[in-house]
Amino acid sequence: MALIETRELSKVYTLSSKKSVTALNNVTMSIEEGEIFGILGPNGSGKTTCLKLLLGIIFPTEGEISIMGQNQYSVVTKKNIGFLPENPYYYDYLTGPEILKFYGKLFDMPPGIIRERTDSLLELVNLNNAKNLSLKHYSKGMLERIGLAVSLINDPKILILDEPTTGLDPIGCKETRDLLKKLHDSGKTILLSSHFLSEVERVCSRIVIFHKGNLLTTGTLESLLEEYKAENLEDLFVKAIRKFDSETGQTEEDAINLQSSV
Amino acid sequence: MKKAWTIALNTFHESLRKKTFYILLVVALVVIGASRFFSFLAAEDELKMIKDVSFSTIEFFGALIAIFTALAAVSGEIEKRTIYTLLSKPITRSNFIIGKLIGQSLIILLNVALMSIFFIGLLFFKKSPPDIQTFKTIFLIFIELILIGSITLSVATFATDAFNLIFSFFLYIIGHLISYGTQMLERIENVVLQRLGNMLYHVIPNYENFNIKDKIVVGVDVSWQYVGQTTLYGIIYIAIAVLIGIHFFYKREV
Ligand SMILES: Nc1ncnc2c1ncn2[C@@H]1O[C@H](COP(=O)(O)OP(=O)(O)OP(=O)(O)O)[C@@H](O)[C@H]1O
Ligand SMILES: [Mg+2]
Repeated sequence: MALIETRELSKVYTLSSKKSVTALNNVTMSIEEGEIFGILGPNGSGKTTCLKLLLGIIFPTEGEISIMGQNQYSVVTKKNIGFLPENPYYYDYLTGPEILKFYGKLFDMPPGIIRERTDSLLELVNLNNAKNLSLKHYSKGMLERIGLAVSLINDPKILILDEPTTGLDPIGCKETRDLLKKLHDSGKTILLSSHFLSEVERVCSRIVIFHKGNLLTTGTLESLLEEYKAENLEDLFVKAIRKFDSETGQTEEDAINLQSSV
Repeated sequence: MKKAWTIALNTFHESLRKKTFYILLVVALVVIGASRFFSFLAAEDELKMIKDVSFSTIEFFGALIAIFTALAAVSGEIEKRTIYTLLSKPITRSNFIIGKLIGQSLIILLNVALMSIFFIGLLFFKKSPPDIQTFKTIFLIFIELILIGSITLSVATFATDAFNLIFSFFLYIIGHLISYGTQMLERIENVVLQRLGNMLYHVIPNYENFNIKDKIVVGVDVSWQYVGQTTLYGIIYIAIAVLIGIHFFYKREV
């Protein structure tokens, strides 16, 4: 059985009585245990919307979600999830250890365990020397890294990361990538979103491509490259989007604009 | 409940970081302190004056702090997007609202306690130590302030800050004037308006119920029974406000 499943999931944001945005359109996908699953897509394609739906932060207009056999609002299921939001932001008057303690308490973790995990996580994300610094003095990359630590405080089975490498320099990116591999090796299921192609290419065991809220295609990288006769992920990305647009009557110009934004 | 408590403590600490809390507190203390300079009054009148001004100050500035703290409690969390991480953790949305209510009530408690200590110090200074009636008055103000805060908290779950601010202050004023409502209702001729007015009269919390200072100041005692009943009245309204808040927060997309 799949660990995470969405069935015909749609999300329409209502802006006013006349205006609405379909951010996600009829998405059905499943994520198996032990995968690193990548959601790829250009800006505004619905990646964040999809992850927020999975966490029960926003509500689907249509469709269903199941995570470990429960719906997305189950508090029991959430004990097994770690989440890193896009451009994470935390109570900025707290220090790294204080932030981890706060979230650890929300998992009913005993103080001793929280302390142990805090030490090892700060070590893991390289923030050991910033223990006494409050988060308002953190750089963007440091915030991203403390965010990763927060998402790991409960030693989750499922890790959901929204653009985990934005704001990181190349070394930070590589470190995160290595960390993701390590976490994967230790048996975690990872779901991440990204528009940063090379990064995903290197860690994901399976990907989906989102475009304008639609799921264009899904599979392992090799199978998709073959299917679309693409040379690399970037090429695949553009080809998949072009194919979709031509099928739905979009102009070539739109596709080119998209390509330049990739 | 433990999770609500964790959120409450975090709310408490966060509110203590806000400048508004200290500014309002200092201004309130200045006003209370200034009340003793009406020394041209006869000694007995001066004491009444100090009590009257102090109770009013504790109530008014307490209300300001209650409203501003409650405003920041929900929308601050949404604006700064800290809510995403919070709601992804194993907490229910009612944990969140109840945690916020407890947190802001702790802030109100601290605020009322500090103002009261100052006021009571002043009474000792004037060689007129406070009696139990003084504490009854402060206690009922405290319940009223929690109620004011819980209504603002509840409205914050579905309305904008601007609306909430106006609504909360409007309700604060109406809630104090509502005792005059029956007289006004009699004068309304339109039946529909009268019905509507009558309904509002029964729904809007009567904040004057919590105000016993006019009696205490002139030396009339208020019974424990009245204190108990009014506290119960407050708790019922607080419970309704919180339930409404929880209801809307379950539907809230952040
Ligand atoms: N709260 C909201 N109200 C209205 N529209 C929204 C809201 N959130 C997102 N949208 C719209 O939904 C679409 C998808 O947004 P989403 O944030 O999911 O994209 P994304 O793939 O995460 O993009 P990015 O790569 O820029 O993070 C966009 O068109 C966006 O404008
Ligand atoms: Mg996004």
